[in-house]
Amino acid sequence: MMRFTKFLKIEVEVVVARNALIPDNKSSKEYLENAAVAFLQEEFAKANGFKENDVIRITSRGKSVNLKVKISDAAPKKGILIPNGIYASYLTNFDGFKRFNADIELVDEEITRPEDILEELKG
Amino acid sequence: MVDYYTCTGCSCLCDDIEVELDGENVKIVKTACRRGSNIFLEYKENRAEPIIDGKKVEFEEAIKKGQELMENSENFAIYGMDTIPVEAQKIAIEIAESKEAYIDNSSTYCLGDLVEMVLKNELPTATFEDVKDYAYVIFYWGVDPHNSLPRHMSRYTYYPRGKKRQRGYEEDRYLVVADVRKSHTAMLVAKNARFIQVDDDLKLVDAFIKVIDKQMPEKYADDAVRVIREMQKADFNVIMGGLGLRYGLKGNYEKFKEMMNKMNEVAKVYFIPAGCHANMRGFNETLFEKTGFINKYSFKDKESSLDYAFFELLKNDKVDTALVIGSDPVNSLPFEVSKKLAKINTIVVDPRNSFTAKIAKVVIPSAISGVEQGGTMIRSDGVRVKVNGLFEREINDVYVLERLKEVIA
Repeated sequence: MMRFTKFLKIEVEVVVARNALIPDNKSSKEYLENAAVAFLQEEFAKANGFKENDVIRITSRGKSVNLKVKISDAAPKKGILIPNGIYASYLTNFDGFKRFNADIELVDEEITRPEDILEELKG
Repeated sequence: MVDYYTCTGCSCLCDDIEVELDGENVKIVKTACRRGSNIFLEYKENRAEPIIDGKKVEFEEAIKKGQELMENSENFAIYGMDTIPVEAQKIAIEIAESKEAYIDNSSTYCLGDLVEMVLKNELPTATFEDVKDYAYVIFYWGVDPHNSLPRHMSRYTYYPRGKKRQRGYEEDRYLVVADVRKSHTAMLVAKNARFIQVDDDLKLVDAFIKVIDKQMPEKYADDAVRVIREMQKADFNVIMGGLGLRYGLKGNYEKFKEMMNKMNEVAKVYFIPAGCHANMRGFNETLFEKTGFINKYSFKDKESSLDYAFFELLKNDKVDTALVIGSDPVNSLPFEVSKKLAKINTIVVDPRNSFTAKIAKVVIPSAISGVEQGGTMIRSDGVRVKVNGLFEREINDVYVLERLKEVIA
C-alpha cells in the first residue's frame, strides 16, 4: 500500500550529539548500525508517518544522506537527533555544528554508506 | 596483584581497567564502558597498513615518502594529536617549529576556548577528585556524559561517595542538566535535581546574572533562582561545560566569565571543560607551555589566529602538505573542508584505517594509545595520567614522528 508520508517533506531542526554505542572501529557492522541513524521521538514519528527502521532522506544545504529511523526518548520533541560523525559533517558546517535545519522525507532507498561520501570526497 | 590499564576512549582516562589476555588476544575487559571495552577487545580490527597513493607498500617506503613530502613542502601543517601521548605531541610541535609550520588540533572547533579560559586562570577550576569529595551542585551544561563521557558520573562526579559526600547522590548531590533536548543524562533528573530545557544559552547566562543582582530575567527565572539557592547550600559546586555550551555562547565568553564571577560572589562554583578526545587538553597544555597559545598556531608568524585554524587553512588553500596524526578529520570536519584534504599531500599516521587514511596520499601505521603504547595524557580536568600500554610496540607515535623528523632537524 502506498504510504502518504512518501509525498511529505518536512523541515525539522537537527540536533547533533555523541552516541555511546558507536565503536572506534569504523569498518564494523556495529558502526554502521549505530552511526547511520536518525533518532525521532515516538509521537513526532507517528504524527509524521515515520516508523522504526524506515529510511529517511535528510537534506541540508543541497546535500542529502539516507539514514535509518530509530525511536528514542532522547530525540528533540519536534526534530531529529543524529550522531556526530561523517554524516553530520557531510550535511553541515561550523555555523550549524550542533544544530541546523534540514528537510526530511521517507524514501524507499538504502542508507548512505561512509564509502559513498568518501567516493564523492575523492571527486 | 592486578595490573590496571588506562582507557583512552575519552578524556575521562579511566585508569582502573582490568584486562585478561590469552597471548596477544584480549579475552575479557572489566570496568570499562562499552566504547572503552571495544578499544581493547577489537584492537586488532580495521588496522592501518602502510600505503602510498592507494597501494600497499613496506613500512619503510611509507616513512620515506612521508619524509619526502614534508621536506619538499613549502606550506606545511600538522593537525590532530588528540589521542597521542604528550611525549609524541612534543615531537610534533618540534617538527612544526623547525618547518615554521602551522599546528592545530580539534579543540579549535571543540572545547579549546573553554580550556583556554581555564589555563589562563579566567575561570576557577577543580579536579575530579575534588568534585567527588566535595561537590554538591553538579551542573552539566551542553553535554550528555551518558553518551560522550560514559563513566564521568559514575567514577568521578555524581554517583560516588566522597569525603564530604557520604550519603549518596540522592541526598548529598544536586544534579542540574541544561540541554536543548531531554538527553539520556537529563533523564536521570529526578529527586534533588533539575533539568533546564534551554533554547538560548546566553539567556540562561543572563538569568543567573540577573537573579544574583536581584533583577527579573527575561527567561529561566525559576531555574536560575533554584540553582543559585542550591549552590548557596554548599561550599563546593561545579559546572561541567560541553560543546553545547561552547556553541550556545556564540563567542560571548566575557558574559560567561561575568556569570561565573557573580556566582562566586554568592557561592563557591568551579568550572571543568567536559570534552571528548583522550588527550585534546594535553595538546592544548603542551603548546601553551611552549608558545602561550593553545591551538591554531603559526610558527612562522609566531601567533595564534583563526586564519591558522586547520579548517581555515584548507578552505583557503594555504597548505600544500598536511601531517594528520591522532585524529580523523574526515569524520569530524565539514565535507567542503575534508574535500581539500583529498587534493593536497595528506600524510596520515594512525593505528586504524580511518576515513582520513582512506583518502590520504601516504598512510603510516602506528600504535593504539593505552593498548600498544604508553605515555602521559592529560584528563579534561587537567590532571596528568601515566598511561601504561597493554603491550609496548616498537612502532608507535613517538617512533614514527622521530623518523619523520630526521629530514627536518
